[in-house]
Amino acid sequence: MTCSEVQRVLPEMMDGAPNNELQAHLEKCPACSDLVAELELISIEAHQLVESNEPSPRVWLAIAAELRSEGLIRDPEAKPGRPVLVPTERRRWNAWWLVPVAAALLVAASYVGMRKPATQIAEKPAVVAPANAPDLAAQSNQQKPAPQVAETKRPVPIDRSLDEPSVSAPVQVVSTEDRQFLDDVGQRSPRMKAEFESQLRAVNSYIRDAEAYLKQNPGDEDARQHVMAAYEQKAMLYQMALNHIQ
Amino acid sequence: MESMQHTAIVGLVVVACLASAATAETRREYRYPVGPKASVTVDTEYGSISVKPGTTREVVVVALIHSDKAKIDISQEGNRLEFESHLLPGADEQTGRVDYEVTVPPDTTLNLHSSNGPISAERIQADVAVEGATAPVEIRSVGHGHVHVKTMKGTITLSDVRSAHVEITSISGDVHLNSVSGPLVQVNSGSGRIYYDGDFGSGGDYNFSTHTGDIEALIASGASADFTAHSMQGHVQSDVPLKPKENNRFPVEVGRSFFGTVGKAASEVILKSFSGKIRLKQR
Repeated sequence: MTCSEVQRVLPEMMDGAPNNELQAHLEKCPACSDLVAELELISIEAHQLVESNEPSPRVWLAIAAELRSEGLIRDPEAKPGRPVLVPTERRRWNAWWLVPVAAALLVAASYVGMRKPATQIAEKPAVVAPANAPDLAAQSNQQKPAPQVAETKRPVPIDRSLDEPSVSAPVQVVSTEDRQFLDDVGQRSPRMKAEFESQLRAVNSYIRDAEAYLKQNPGDEDARQHVMAAYEQKAMLYQMALNHIQ
Repeated sequence: MESMQHTAIVGLVVVACLASAATAETRREYRYPVGPKASVTVDTEYGSISVKPGTTREVVVVALIHSDKAKIDISQEGNRLEFESHLLPGADEQTGRVDYEVTVPPDTTLNLHSSNGPISAERIQADVAVEGATAPVEIRSVGHGHVHVKTMKGTITLSDVRSAHVEITSISGDVHLNSVSGPLVQVNSGSGRIYYDGDFGSGGDYNFSTHTGDIEALIASGASADFTAHSMQGHVQSDVPLKPKENNRFPVEVGRSFFGTVGKAASEVILKSFSGKIRLKQR
């Protein structure tokens, strides 16, 4: 089995299906072995995320950044005949482009899981968990990235508004996580809430645009990279909010 | 007589208020000797951060605390120093503001955070990480390290940054890169524009991406780079005569993409946008 074949069977492997050839290859190939180990780590930690305040979202962002810096998450194969901006030789792992999406999901999930009163010395009102918090945890569980990587090969929407069919429809910040995130920021600073809300609307709009384009052009690797970039921005926004309220 | 008394009272009140405001603003100076490759973190919710190099192996931090609604926590672990502003009850953007002027040895790694800034660093030869939501960020004459900048809407300006791994992410802030080069220069922006003015160095990977923002690259004479540009829903234009590649893997979509080289194609430059305009110009 070659590295490119590993790439094809990776989703099944992450789904738990045994593959002797794959195991044999992983034993001989440190690069593939390391990558699979990191993906498994993400999967395992994602399961623990809702139950624990640790690890910090920084860990996931660091993993994504590390993979990105190594060129491992801009690797989808080019569809012949379409302009693609990253040379094919850099693309080794189709599934890895989902890592920033996973990072964004994990940051959002950890945001829900880690929500706690700000460590600000000020005795400001503590953040009150909404009545539907258990539902949110369940939603976060459903949005764990690794199983989605295993089950599907398409970007996973984090915002329910992204499922709306019309690209030109007014952009709404409708997901529960987004609202919770904005409420928490607003408790610290109403002005910053307005700023974050404006940026969040923009990023959700980018995600929706790019995903709609990708849905129409599933083989377009540039569209996939734009989805990835938009999710990276959303992850960054959540990270900034976490820093802001803690 | 009554009028004079009234005026005197008003005057006293004004003087008292001014005196109170003046005394509430506190200037503090901290000095810490450090060894080579120290690390300094400055984290303030509101306020400016300015970092400059010093000539001694000492970290000097001058903090201007604008009211008694903010305080500074300092921690030191060996060569690692952290200055963190904390807000006290009732603090807002004005009263919670703490401005920092920092002087460090030039080989000091920096980690700077302020929501509203501005944030600036200059003449540092080490890693620099900056995060600011609405803060404008300016980095000048930095090199030989990683330069990572993240803003929500703050404008980012990098000038004379050499031999650096540059990674910039902004959602709506414009990004200006003047004479920036290194093995990796990567910019990801949403609606913010990206301006590049320089020669794209030698042997680097330059990857600029926007969603709706425009990208404009002004290349210096003598540049040597392999250019690839593609806007999925926007327009692209090259005013620079590009030498066609011998083995073009992809067909050129007129008005949507262009490919070609300048000089010996020492660096690779990828410009891509979802719906923004891309323009390549000669300086």
